[in-house]
Amino acid sequence: MDTSTGIQEPFDLIRLSLSERVFVKLRGDRELTGILHAYDGHMNLILSDVEETIMLVDGMDGAPSGQGVVNVAKRKMEMLFVRGDGVILVSPPSRT
Amino acid sequence: MDSLIPFTTSGSLVDCVDRKMLVILRDGRKLHGVLRSYDQFANLVLEDTVERIYAGNTFAEKWCGLFLIRGENVVLLGEIDLDQEDDVPLRQVDYKQLDDYYRQDIAAKKQREEAKAKILYEQKGFCKEGGEGDGY
Amino acid sequence: MLIFSVFKTLTDQRVTVELKNDLSITGTLKSVDQFLNIRLDAIEVADQARHPHMMAVKNCFIRGSVVRYVQLPAEHVDTQLLEDATRREAASQAKR
Repeated sequence: MDTSTGIQEPFDLIRLSLSERVFVKLRGDRELTGILHAYDGHMNLILSDVEETIMLVDGMDGAPSGQGVVNVAKRKMEMLFVRGDGVILVSPPSRT
Repeated sequence: MDSLIPFTTSGSLVDCVDRKMLVILRDGRKLHGVLRSYDQFANLVLEDTVERIYAGNTFAEKWCGLFLIRGENVVLLGEIDLDQEDDVPLRQVDYKQLDDYYRQDIAAKKQREEAKAKILYEQKGFCKEGGEGDGY
Repeated sequence: MLIFSVFKTLTDQRVTVELKNDLSITGTLKSVDQFLNIRLDAIEVADQARHPHMMAVKNCFIRGSVVRYVQLPAEHVDTQLLEDATRREAASQAKR
């Protein structure tokens, strides 16, 4: 079997996304997109040209159990190391 | 094999021994004390420890004594600059005076976090953190 | 070991470490170990007012497990080198 392009294990999917833009969902109500340059077996990642989306909930103080409104804050970073234990999922660019 | 690689960072804590240090724990507590010993897991021995609480521009201290802190609970170990410490524009008050205020602060924060986690869980598919607080 | 090596090449550079408790600390990277514990010198804390306990702290040790991100100086990161090293490490892991 062709091991250079085939997918036998989960990390192969990340390997094939090297130098491509990936979407990363993180614990702590955050999402990232960035160009993947490095990873390891802990799913530690190094990304460049990163845009982070942080989920915020506004308007909770009036009604503690009630309906807050979900807002997002965005932030850009040039080069970012992401610790693997916070990663929920990594999604490669769509190949359509 | 990995265990043969020297513990460079932990090793460099050697210059912090016998100094006054700030230790931040995963639950948000701030301890001040003199670092007497440490190991590769960042287990720490802290002598003459006090717990500090902060509210507004005041702080208060509670005597704790001698602690061995298990490394996994440590967030950060900071060296206190004794000159800079004198310039900190905070006023020390009696612990009893600040305690209630501090507890209310923590409770309100916890309630906000829980409400936020519930909404994001329901609407955005983010997991609620495992009850450890602060998402560690 | 790959990410550890990357951090070692960045010693004496200014980096920003963001912790899982939202504390963000910029400092000179003095050392790093295989757990990615980090020593920072000459630190500055973002949003000092929210973290009054950090005011008298100059140097600190951060436990690797509490790190969310590290913002790296992009000009000191060779992305091509990273990708090659990542592929090499992935290949050596697969052989095991």
